[in-house]
Amino acid sequence: MLLSLMIFVPLLGMIVVLLLPRESEELIKRVTLAFTLIPLILAVYLYITHNQPDLEHLWKQNVPWIATFNIQYHVGIDGLSAILILLTALLGPICVLASWRNIEKGIKAYMALFLLLETGMLGFFAALDLFLFFVFFELTLLPMYFLIGVWGGPRREYAAIKFFLYTLFGSVLMLVAIIAVYLNSNVINGIAAEARTFDIPTLIERAATEGHALANGTFQMWVFLGFFIGFAVKVPIFPFHTWLPDAHVEAPTAISVILAGVLLKMGTYGLVRINMDMLPEGMAFFTNGAGFWGNSLALLGFINIVYGSFCALAQTDFKKLVAYSSIGHMGFVILGLAAGNEVGVTGAILQMFNHGVISAMLFLLVGVLYDRAHHREINGFGGLGNRMPIYTGITTLAFMASLGLPGLSGFIGEAFSLLGAYERFPTLAILSTIGIVVGAAYFLWTLQRVFLGTLNPKYEALPEINRREILTLVPLGILTIVLGIWPHFAIEMFSESVVELTTKIMGTLQANL
Amino acid sequence: MVIPLISIILLCPLAAFVIFALLGLAKRSFPRQDLLSTAAMLAALVCSFLLLREVVPDPKPHTVNWISVGDFTFSMGFYLDSVTVIMLIVVTLVSSLVHIFSIGYMHGDPRYPRFFAYLSLFSFSMLFLVVSDNLLGIYIGWELVGLCSYLLIGFWFEKDSAANACKKAFLTTRVGDVGMFIGMMMLFAKFKTLSLYDGTENGIFTLVEGLSGTGDIIWLSIAGILIFCGAIGKSAQVPLHTWLPDAMEGPTPVSALIHAATMVAAGVYLTARMFPILTDTSSLVIAYIGGITALVAATIAIVRFDIKRVLAYSTVSQLGYMMLAIGAGSYVAGLFHLTTHAFFKALLFLGSGSVIHAFHAMHAHHDEDHTDGEAHEHDDHSLVHEHGSEIPPDQDMRNMGGLRRKMPWTFGTMLVATLSISGVPFLFSGFWSKDAILGGVLGHAMVSHSPHYYILFGMALIAAGITAFYMFRLIFMTFFGEPRNQEMHDMAHESPWVMVVPLLVLAVLSIPIVNPIWFNKDYVKPPPQSHIHAPAHAQLGPDTKTGDANSGFAFFWISEAQAAEEEGGKNTEKADDAYRIHKLAHNIAMVLSICVAGLGILLSWLFYHRRRFSAESVATKFSPVYNLFWNKYYFDEFYDGVLVALTVWKSRLFAQFDGAIVDGTVNGVGTVTRQIFAAFIGFFDNRVVDGIVNRVAEVTWAAGGRIRRIQTGAIQTYLFVVLGGIVLIILIFRAL
Repeated sequence: MLLSLMIFVPLLGMIVVLLLPRESEELIKRVTLAFTLIPLILAVYLYITHNQPDLEHLWKQNVPWIATFNIQYHVGIDGLSAILILLTALLGPICVLASWRNIEKGIKAYMALFLLLETGMLGFFAALDLFLFFVFFELTLLPMYFLIGVWGGPRREYAAIKFFLYTLFGSVLMLVAIIAVYLNSNVINGIAAEARTFDIPTLIERAATEGHALANGTFQMWVFLGFFIGFAVKVPIFPFHTWLPDAHVEAPTAISVILAGVLLKMGTYGLVRINMDMLPEGMAFFTNGAGFWGNSLALLGFINIVYGSFCALAQTDFKKLVAYSSIGHMGFVILGLAAGNEVGVTGAILQMFNHGVISAMLFLLVGVLYDRAHHREINGFGGLGNRMPIYTGITTLAFMASLGLPGLSGFIGEAFSLLGAYERFPTLAILSTIGIVVGAAYFLWTLQRVFLGTLNPKYEALPEINRREILTLVPLGILTIVLGIWPHFAIEMFSESVVELTTKIMGTLQANL
Repeated sequence: MVIPLISIILLCPLAAFVIFALLGLAKRSFPRQDLLSTAAMLAALVCSFLLLREVVPDPKPHTVNWISVGDFTFSMGFYLDSVTVIMLIVVTLVSSLVHIFSIGYMHGDPRYPRFFAYLSLFSFSMLFLVVSDNLLGIYIGWELVGLCSYLLIGFWFEKDSAANACKKAFLTTRVGDVGMFIGMMMLFAKFKTLSLYDGTENGIFTLVEGLSGTGDIIWLSIAGILIFCGAIGKSAQVPLHTWLPDAMEGPTPVSALIHAATMVAAGVYLTARMFPILTDTSSLVIAYIGGITALVAATIAIVRFDIKRVLAYSTVSQLGYMMLAIGAGSYVAGLFHLTTHAFFKALLFLGSGSVIHAFHAMHAHHDEDHTDGEAHEHDDHSLVHEHGSEIPPDQDMRNMGGLRRKMPWTFGTMLVATLSISGVPFLFSGFWSKDAILGGVLGHAMVSHSPHYYILFGMALIAAGITAFYMFRLIFMTFFGEPRNQEMHDMAHESPWVMVVPLLVLAVLSIPIVNPIWFNKDYVKPPPQSHIHAPAHAQLGPDTKTGDANSGFAFFWISEAQAAEEEGGKNTEKADDAYRIHKLAHNIAMVLSICVAGLGILLSWLFYHRRRFSAESVATKFSPVYNLFWNKYYFDEFYDGVLVALTVWKSRLFAQFDGAIVDGTVNGVGTVTRQIFAAFIGFFDNRVVDGIVNRVAEVTWAAGGRIRRIQTGAIQTYLFVVLGGIVLIILIFRAL
């Protein structure tokens, strides 16, 4: 019940916002903030009570929706979805605050779309019915398209269309895979034995049953590919990544934050929830370490890391640099997932959460600078360290977290992904460490070009970061530090899920050997 | 008492930094951050001394579970043995003195409080590294000290040279750190743990004893060398040494603390800690890297004129010595030299800081920054650094001379340190530790009959002579003779007491008789480290004696006979043999090292004091060699011209590939699809229906990128339609 409340409160907020008069902008912003704070409060409650088993029933709901096709409104959470819901709920109010001053036109429509987007994201992470999962997946697409296409930079229309078509292309393949799963969901040993279903837990169970059509290795391999491409566009995995830099560069700050912080995680979440959990045979085919296909997933992770990092090094647009760095960092998630062992998957999931927090910080910081200087050309700054010491300090923290400095949260995800991957794919893991060096190089070079050296006389009057902006950054900064020192706070949420999942994956791999 | 004491040691400096950071966020700063940081450091110092009493023979780590998922656990914890305590005392002592010195040296700097906050953060990180009982914890501290080093080298970041230097330091050490991380991955894959000692689970050192067979040893050698890569970066060993001389762009107290006494020595500490997993092969690699570094850096130091660069190359060279000692199995000698070096090199740096301060370095510095700020060009930042930057006049030894009368305290204390580093016998600590290393290497060569170690001994001996030469060159050029720059000389003055007192303390600590740290042999003893794969001497030689509690740092200055007496009857016959050889080696080494040190000092005296020979004419005579030394063996040219340029070129290539090929393909597919659709629809249009299909074509075109400007007003209507649609769908399907 609480979960449904959390998902639909933003939708309710959207209705309220739409009913408010266009002129009362302050009121609209406050109402939006309030409606994004409610999911955050619920998420904090969820975090505090997550290990009390008697409260579990609060966080699931299963009612029939479209009886003809046995589609249910089934939502529920486990450790993995819980941590991503936390992330989404946290970034919601932060993004509203970050949009407080710099959205000049149509604040009402903007806030309404933002609230719709939040419902889509929360629903996606909670959905346990494949059809519902797809509906929420598509539901995020629509507001995102408008948010980039209307409130974005000069090339916003190109970026919005590109984003839309890319994702649509992926989701068509995903839809085909979903239908294939649905049609095969009742076949045991060639006989239609039970009712077809979209219910994810049921499907997972059936896919693990001997003789079930869903458990067939070849079938799983093809379905895996369909889902994978759908999610790969979202992550994004090379070569499906080129929408990301464009979308980021054009999107307003808060939307970039959501894009990097949450939307990318929808891809990796899907990989874990569907590709790994439901299709272990398919997963085993692509990660068994034998031949080209057996290394393919790890290879893609490696390519993402190295390719993204090198591309980032060449950028001179601050935001594009951060966008490419995201591609590199998501590569560690793929690498950790490909490893399929406890260390690797733990690292990957941690990296999902931490990248959400850190990249959110980075995009907020880019936004702060852009709002003041109205450009993002890295070489156009210089010496800001003296002019804006607090901003410089927070940026240094975020950069250090992102380049994987131990003691801050970015390190553990990366390190564990690599430690896990080394056991399964030693060569690729070693080669991926190139990304660590290049990552340090582009961030430090950026630090130098923007903040060190003598102050560019053009920016002698640049105002220091203000209190509202600090307020958006401080919670994220605290999280980076706290999770860097004591990652257990995050890991305990999902450690049980990881053990279950990795036991299944490693078991399947063993059986296939 | 161990846990509370270590907690205080760690938390005091950390708190000093956190207070600064929190107040900074609120745009305030604590008025006396200097006193706060210094007090925190002194508290840590007191606790470190108290910890001396807590050392027990076979300590267990104090751990907590840091991360546990399913079968695997990472624990974090402290490990306290005599080596830890020695390191704690060295770090807190040098750090406290540097704090006090900085109160005078940094006075008047616009970012004065921040400097102390960074020092506190550094001290915390360094202490964390020292007490950690596992590789992951060491790695965390390791990278954090790297961050502090970055922040402090770039403390005067308005200078481009400082901004370049801090970036270079971070990136160069990170290359080494990646090697270390790969080594950790290998160890983790094999042992499923990164703990070193036996706590709740088996540590690596126990598990490594269970290994057998040659197959194991090859990968263990590789892992050992990879872990050592971290030390190559951090301790500025060849070929990753180039960042340390550049790091002299930082304020001089930073050079003393971080880039001489503590952080750069962390690599030595790590290598010594990892001693039980080092195999023959990895030991030899370490010894060669150390030996080459010692010699190469010493030769570069001869021709430098910047007083801080001389000391920087000297540091690199001395760190090479320590590595060489570990590689030769005498890891106790390496650690011993680490502690003596920490004091006398910190003293030398602080002394040079005192000289620089005497020339009003600080004020000149900042005035300069403010005046030429406006004329600055902004487009010259690049990953490739510029070279041959001018030596700041206040650091150029060619501007000095005759300062001993003006600055008697600075001169006197620096002379003690110079005598110590040069290996002048008996009274000075450096003699004992250097002799321990030379003797250890020679002894190892004699026991193992390995020609490699004879070569290494030769290199170390030559380097020792060169060290004495360039250090006295520094003393003669700075303090003796006539002033070369009268104007600057007239300005010079002795530093205030707050700077002189730390110099005096360090000078006292460089004289072993009065230094309590390696006096008390009950507390200071090497940890029991059985070393199964390493050369036999490691178990037999007098340096380790299989962890026997009676040998230790004390060994090196207590007479050999006394040590032998204590050891008597405990060793097997074979061990006795090895022991006798080692004793012989120590005696030979001592004589030889006194000779080369004397020769070095004599030559230096003839060149730079009596001026019997002219350094310039020698330089012209041997100009190829001189150029090689002067250009630092062209390491920087190679890195910037080849490696960095290649990386930048590669990144541009990737970016172009991304834009042109990957994105180009995507756009191409988009265009083609659009046209096929259009053509298809055009065909359809002509043949079948006109009106309706026209509309479809328009929609397709729109989706291809020709969408009209989306109006915000329309979106609200649109949203209502979506909402209505959702409600309708739900209702319809519920009814079905």
